[in-house]
Amino acid sequence: MASASPKASSEPLELPLPPVKLDPLAALFSYLVPGLGQIYQGRIGKGLLFFAGLYTLFFYGMWMGQWRNVWLPDTHDLPDVVVLGQRLEGVPKAVSYRPQFVAQFFIGTAAWPAVYQYIKFDRTKDEGPPPFKKFQRAPTEEQLNELQRNASKRWDLGWVYTVIAGVLNLLVIYDALAGPMFRDPPKWLEEQAAGKPAAPEGPKPLTAANPPPEPVAPVAAATNPPDGPPQGGAT
Amino acid sequence: MIPALFAVSIYWDLPVLLVIVSFVYAATRHDRWDRILSEAFGWGVRIAMFLVGIGLTLYLLSTYL
Repeated sequence: MASASPKASSEPLELPLPPVKLDPLAALFSYLVPGLGQIYQGRIGKGLLFFAGLYTLFFYGMWMGQWRNVWLPDTHDLPDVVVLGQRLEGVPKAVSYRPQFVAQFFIGTAAWPAVYQYIKFDRTKDEGPPPFKKFQRAPTEEQLNELQRNASKRWDLGWVYTVIAGVLNLLVIYDALAGPMFRDPPKWLEEQAAGKPAAPEGPKPLTAANPPPEPVAPVAAATNPPDGPPQGGAT
Repeated sequence: MIPALFAVSIYWDLPVLLVIVSFVYAATRHDRWDRILSEAFGWGVRIAMFLVGIGLTLYLLSTYL
């Protein structure tokens, strides 16, 4: 970051960038599937990088947790949660018992089976309706105890990976919406700037590196009296 | 320290996290591949140094304190 700062003071003025155009549709695509918004915008390489990277991280985390660390709990028999005098019900109550799901949700459609399992949850059955069955279904207390006892720290580390994948997708969504944090000038503008001679005598654009001249000097030169002493003379 | 490192398997999961976080974060900051790669490398080195530093500190604390 420190290496970019000297350029940042002069480049934006010398090579003016076009204004940022927000792209909410691409942002929505990148929410649904990481990188899809960038692919839609024609930034295919970056889109594929986001897609492969974030899905690898999310599903690697699920694999570390034996595919049982992304879920929304059934809260019917759990104690009430009161926030600011209000008793939480439904999804807010479930999220209060499993707050990491908020971050996992931002990975997009890959976390939607957990919502489906939550809606269709039937405690009398061992698995949810097809096609997901046990995938992202809330484990029972006994299953949770067994996972934490037998999987050592990997089960916990696994859900951290899925949370990081979801949070990183927020940055990807923003990249689809408004572009990268440091925008580059268009190639033709860079080539024009690189191919242009230094032109020391020609007019230069006013930049931080090339400030306008002091206004005092020309005024003093124009109104210099023929007999008067030089301005600011010491003797 | 070395046998302990090999025995605990969660350390082998960290490179996946390190590489992906570095690349994805760098790619959200730039569009050009040369800048993405150089920034990802920088973040990878910084994260690795941080993790090694924390690991070493905890190891020394648990061993000699």
